[in-house]
Formats: sequence, structure tokens, C-alpha cells
Amino acid sequence: MCSDFSRRHILIAGAAASVAALTNPAKAEVRSKIHDVRIKDFVYVPDTLHVHVGDTIRWINDDLAPHTATALEFGWDTGELKRGESAEVVVSENMETAYFCVFHPHMKAQLVIS
Amino acid sequence: MVAFKGCYALVYRTYMRETGGLLMKKLISALAVAAAFIGAQATAQDIANMSDTEFAHIAYTADNIDIRYAHLALALSDNPEIKKFAKTMISDHEAVNEAALELLAKLGATAQDNAVSQALNERADNIINEFSQLRGAAFDKAYAENELAYHQEVNALVEGTMIPNIDNAEVKALFEQGLKIFKAHEKHAEMMVKSVQ
Ligand SMILES: [Cu+2]
Repeated sequence: MCSDFSRRHILIAGAAASVAALTNPAKAEVRSKIHDVRIKDFVYVPDTLHVHVGDTIRWINDDLAPHTATALEFGWDTGELKRGESAEVVVSENMETAYFCVFHPHMKAQLVIS
Repeated sequence: MVAFKGCYALVYRTYMRETGGLLMKKLISALAVAAAFIGAQATAQDIANMSDTEFAHIAYTADNIDIRYAHLALALSDNPEIKKFAKTMISDHEAVNEAALELLAKLGATAQDNAVSQALNERADNIINEFSQLRGAAFDKAYAENELAYHQEVNALVEGTMIPNIDNAEVKALFEQGLKIFKAHEKHAEMMVKSVQ
């Protein structure tokens, strides 16, 4: 049940990413950047990330424990990231900006989209 | 006991200045843990003198016990928060155990059974027997409170007694990483205890 949940949300995040890339081709080409967020010692670094629509955010788990980056209302989700794994989400205009780790709900961070 | 106190005071005076009280902290937590876990079977000094492979066995045992508690919770609880927490305990403790086995294999070492591991297992068997009779809110409350107490105890043992006495640098680093995970669980368990009151 847990893995179904994760997989579904990876698909949704992936679909949202494709839509964003299709609808904003110019923007995406001009200024799309990749931002890394590292997960280390149960903290997202940085915990506040400034991004633009069309940018890509890549979460990399440096912890032993598996983590996720998941929107508070579940609008997007990296799915489970085991040690050393990473996942990307493309920034879309109305995406949720507050996120947490499904496994460790006290882990919280946010995006600032401009 | 008087003789021990005298000895302790001497040790304390001798090392206090250099260590800033670290040794005192270590002795106190070692004593507390020894009393809680193993009663008369081993002294604090026995634990402090254990080898890295015995520490590894204790940590592996402690991980497996929490995994067993979590499986019991998945079987008996209907509370989604409890189930989510239990799943996290399984995946996190399995991740630590996997890393521990990898490291032992790399070092060509084998975890060594010992009195503390045995006492931990014995106590866990009793707790599982007891909890398996509980249902509903009574189970959830017992599970949550036990998770908090268990993580507090194991964290004190790992931080105060084991980490300061580990010889191998890689083993020590792994224990330090494990401790961070268990401290996160302790925080999570605190919230869970509040939510089932
Ligand atoms: Cu996490």
C-alpha cells in the first residue's frame, strides 16, 4: 500500500513535470536551472529554496535512512529515496511550496517560487 | 557501593578538568543503562569494556527488536499514525542493519553475542507477549509509550556508553549515524505519545 502510494505520486510528479516543460518551452530553455537539495542528518539543505518556474529541483539523500520530499497536501512527491538515491521535480507555477518527509514528518522545508 | 563511590570520586576529580565532565556523563549513563537493561548480570564497566563486535551485536539486536515491535503494531493497530510510524521504524532500522552488515563484512568481522543482547531480547519477548494481549487504544498507547522509552534508553546506551568506547573509526561513524536516526525516532515517538493520549 505504501509503495503504491509512492509510485502513484512519482507518476503524478513526472506528469506535472512534462506538462510544465511542454507549456513553457521558452522559459525552460532560457533560465531553467537545476537546484540540489541534500538530505543529511534528517534535514533538507537548504530548507528554504528559491526557484523559478521551469527549474528542476533535485533531492539527494545522503542519510542511511530512507526519506521523501512530499508536498504537504500531496500534490507532488519524490517517492522513497534510499541512501544515495536522488529524484527530480520540475517547478510548475501552482505547485505546493511546503513539503515534508512522509517517513519523518518533523522534517519540513519550503520552496519560494518567483 | 561505598568503595565504588570513592573510586568514582577519585576518577571524577582526576579527569574532570581535562574532559569537561564527559567521563562523568559517561559513567552516569552507563550506570543508568546497566540498571535498566541488565540488572545484576553485568556492570557498567562490563559494558564499557566490551569489544566493537559486541557493540555491533547489541545495536543489531536493538534494531531487530524495534522491527519486531513494529510488525506487532502493523498486525494489531488500526490507527493510521501508528501504522505509519511502525513502517518507518521497519525501513529505518532495516537500513541501519543493512549498513552494519556491510561494514562487518568489509572489516571481516562477525557480531558477537553477549549478555546485554540477551537481556534486551528477553525483555522484548516479555513486552511482545504482554502487548499482544492488548487491542485498540490500549495497544496504541502502550506501543507509543514503549517506543519513546525504548528509543530514550537505547540512545542513552549508544551515546553515553558505546560510542565513547568504540575502537574502530568506521564502526564509530556508523554508530553516530545510527544515533541520529534513533534520535529522530525519539522525537517522532514523543509526538506520537501525545497524539494517542
Ligand atoms: Cu525521512
